[in-house]
Amino acid sequence: MRPLLLGGVALSLLAGMAGGLLRVGVTLPSLPDATWPGQAALAHAALMICGFLGTVIGIERAVAVKLRAAFLAPLASGAGGALLLLGQPGPGAWLGVAAASIFTAVNIVIVRRQRAAHTWLLLVAAGAWLTGNLLFATGQGSVATLPWWFAFLVMTIAAERLEMTRLMRRRPAAELSLQVVLAALLAGAAWSALAPVAGGLLYGTALTLLALWLVVFDIARHTVRAHGLSRYMAVCLLGGYAWLAVAGVAWAATALGLPLRDAAIHALGLGFIVSMMMGHAPVILPAIARVKLQFGAFFYVPLAVLHLSLLLRLVAGMAGDPLRSTGALLNAAAIALFAVTIAGAAFAWRIHHGGPDALPTRKTAP
Amino acid sequence: MTEPKAPFPYEGPEALRQPLVAALTRVVDPEVAMSIVDVGLIYGVTVTAEKLHVRLTMTSAACPVADLIIDEVETELDRVAPPELLIEVELVWEPPWSADRMSERARRFMQW
Repeated sequence: MRPLLLGGVALSLLAGMAGGLLRVGVTLPSLPDATWPGQAALAHAALMICGFLGTVIGIERAVAVKLRAAFLAPLASGAGGALLLLGQPGPGAWLGVAAASIFTAVNIVIVRRQRAAHTWLLLVAAGAWLTGNLLFATGQGSVATLPWWFAFLVMTIAAERLEMTRLMRRRPAAELSLQVVLAALLAGAAWSALAPVAGGLLYGTALTLLALWLVVFDIARHTVRAHGLSRYMAVCLLGGYAWLAVAGVAWAATALGLPLRDAAIHALGLGFIVSMMMGHAPVILPAIARVKLQFGAFFYVPLAVLHLSLLLRLVAGMAGDPLRSTGALLNAAAIALFAVTIAGAAFAWRIHHGGPDALPTRKTAP
Repeated sequence: MTEPKAPFPYEGPEALRQPLVAALTRVVDPEVAMSIVDVGLIYGVTVTAEKLHVRLTMTSAACPVADLIIDEVETELDRVAPPELLIEVELVWEPPWSADRMSERARRFMQW
């Protein structure tokens, strides 16, 4: 089942990226009679958030919970992405609702196994995804839907970082302040559908406060002093927190009418979330795709391209569209370069460890 | 047989104690940049004539890398354990992990 799931992940990612490039006016090699590029441009956000990230997170959680039925969630979100591309927006969106419903059930199982602040937050994040998918399926538009979709991703990350803070000296303010910030984020998301200005202001403020929370309480400030993979992960996280703060300010400014929508959405989606994903891929990919990776300094190259191209897209891009689309093209190049890095790291691991079968030969108990 | 300063309860031949502690210490959780022994994930090691049994926990039930850490623990134990021993790594959730289990070195690193 995993090759099928990973195929779905790759399909949504590639099509989502192509759709994103078309939206900023990048001309792609034309395919005669192909309708999918148009569908991909229309469904860019759904492909990236639900078809790609939702499926990856669904696989991740299914691996953690060790229940076969839990894989139905990523299977449904991956299939939903494919249907969107095939020009079936209705069935595609409702498969997304099914995916988020199953995913929510999986998170209930996890809360029952471990009742902790971070597992409850993961469950609330799943609920945000379900809410976003219901709004999408019923055609409520991006102003109503996007805040919920991003709340799903942002709260998932926040929950995982909260879990790590348990390694640090306990500061009672940490958990309570995070709950207040995330409650404001959800209130902003809900309010956005009814009052876009007030809702957007609250949502943007909550994003920036979350960035501050992460800078103050996250372990990345300590682990960045380590070496190798740990330091790389911390650099990805800290760079992401800076973009999260930018995204919050841009989100609030957009609500007030400034032309910063691209900055808000992509500082969040690329600067915060994709940077985080690049940081965790070396440990998550071996878990979900069963491929071992050799970490090396080369991992910093796609990361640097991502952050610099985002800077070009958002700062220089304000001067005019050509620079914005060049930045977007380089954003896509950073993700492609990261894929090459992963392939190279898998190859390097095999060379280093003498082939894929270099695992212990002794019988180990199950 | 447990020494008061051992990083985790150990029962078995004294000669194997140090190599096993060293093997488990080589397994690092990259997210926190510390060994699983320093984080306090190892609940105990028992060595009998046939079996090497390790009990360990994870800090989160939502963590997808548990199997990878267990794989790595098995690989490292395999390097130092006598070949006739069956290696058995058991993932347990009771008692739940808490920061009290962290070593002095881990606390210093996290600036407690």
